[in-house]
Amino acid sequence: MTEKKEESFEKSLEHLSRIAARLEAGDVPLEKGVALYKEGMALVTACRKRLEAARLEISLAGEDGAVESFDAEAADAAGEEERDG
Amino acid sequence: MPHVFAVSELTRAVKDVIESEFPFVWVRGQVTNVSRPGSGHLYFSVRDVEASLAVVWFRGAQGGKALAGGGRYNPLTGEVYENSLADTLTDGMEVMVAGRLSVYAPRGVYQLVAEVVQAVGEGRLWLEFEALKKDLAAKGYFDQARKRPLPPHPARVAVVTAPSGAAVRDFIRIGRERGRGAEVRIYPTLVQGEAAPTGIVRAMLRAVADDWAEVLVLIRGGGSLEDLWAFNTAEVAGAIFASPLPVVTGVGHEVDVTIADMVADVRAATPTHAAQVLWPERAQLVQRLDDLEMGLRRSVARLVATRERELDGLARGLAWLSPARRLARLEEAFADGRRRMVRAGAVWLDGCARRLAAAEERLRRRFGPANLDTREADLDRREEFLKSSLKYFFVDRERQLELAAARLDGLDPIGPLARGYSLTTLVRTGKFLRRSADTHAGDKLDIMVYAGRIAATVTETAPDGGEDA
Repeated sequence: MTEKKEESFEKSLEHLSRIAARLEAGDVPLEKGVALYKEGMALVTACRKRLEAARLEISLAGEDGAVESFDAEAADAAGEEERDG
Repeated sequence: MPHVFAVSELTRAVKDVIESEFPFVWVRGQVTNVSRPGSGHLYFSVRDVEASLAVVWFRGAQGGKALAGGGRYNPLTGEVYENSLADTLTDGMEVMVAGRLSVYAPRGVYQLVAEVVQAVGEGRLWLEFEALKKDLAAKGYFDQARKRPLPPHPARVAVVTAPSGAAVRDFIRIGRERGRGAEVRIYPTLVQGEAAPTGIVRAMLRAVADDWAEVLVLIRGGGSLEDLWAFNTAEVAGAIFASPLPVVTGVGHEVDVTIADMVADVRAATPTHAAQVLWPERAQLVQRLDDLEMGLRRSVARLVATRERELDGLARGLAWLSPARRLARLEEAFADGRRRMVRAGAVWLDGCARRLAAAEERLRRRFGPANLDTREADLDRREEFLKSSLKYFFVDRERQLELAAARLDGLDPIGPLARGYSLTTLVRTGKFLRRSADTHAGDKLDIMVYAGRIAATVTETAPDGGEDA
């Protein structure tokens, strides 16, 4: 996930909050209200998709500077001595 | 109706349960809040990651009697304890406490009444720790002013830790549930043992040299004071202090506070907590989204409902103004008017009838049968009077006539003739002869006597021969 996306997520959320507040105030004309609602729902869907797609990508930086993928589950099996200590 | 407890009643019940369920227990934990009031009893708490337990170590259970010069002795055996734990017990020590659980009713707390307290580990490390802490504090390592804030949603996170074990696993497990996705790069190192401090410092330097991460995380799972010792070294503290990246530490359990924690920009209590500090819970983000979505739905529904209500109102208003409605209303008004008219007419007629009756009554009183009778009688009386008056009038006149006739009889010229008088008429004039002078010799006279008439001729006249012949 890139930084640009994150910013847009933040912005989307902020935008969404503003829309919700405006709609909640209830003083918008009906057409405007419906338009705001549609816009808001589109933002909700987009944000939700982004959250659903959110992943933690894990890698391991080797001593030699190489970065390799890292399997946390395999690491679990490897050793528990630390916890016992 | 549920039973309502008195406070003391409930406390007694709790006390019964606790004291019977846990008559004697061993508890291991870290000492905090040591308090030594004048009574000689010792009060402290033992705690671990999640909980804290109040302990009271009564003087009688502290073993032996205090000697004047310090230390204690067993009054029965005479054995002298060089250094009783009761005297050296300090915050941060790890101890095993044996005793029974009890409820202290006045404050509503339960506590462990200690009978045996034993130290786990050794106090040497504690002293080293305190010395380093004092030194670094003097150097400004712990100043709040130099603590840097973390980026709000770090997307690239360097994690310095052992690549295997609970710490990294917990961190990743929690990290997966949080945030909106991020990259985590693990910089492996030993975190325990003699080589650990150097390893940690090297891993940190590599992470900094890569110039990739936004934040550096230093984590290690729980362990004894010795296990965590690498994080209480000057090397690690120096590396954290020198790091150009903001550093989050999560070392040991919640109660473990290392030097590294104190130098770090943000101290997380545990590796798990470190992940929590970095990223907001995704479920919360989802919930926030859900809240916003529900808010949108509610608001728009309310908006539509409001407009609908307004429309309904207008439609009702319009229907009210429709010609059909107007006609109906007019018809109604007309019917109403008619009803009122009929009613008013009836009332008017009633009024007329009443006035008529009243007039009739007055008329009747004035000219009614009774009154007419009176009038008739009056009339009769008057008629009678008139009749009788007329009668009298006639009688009177008759009598007067008789009188007049009688008088007339007296004046009859014939009458005196009977008595010898005569009536002479001068023929020449045709008039009664009253004076002799009126005649001349030779004049013819007509003389009327009582019986018959005589024709005569004047021979002589004598004056004044009698006036009234």
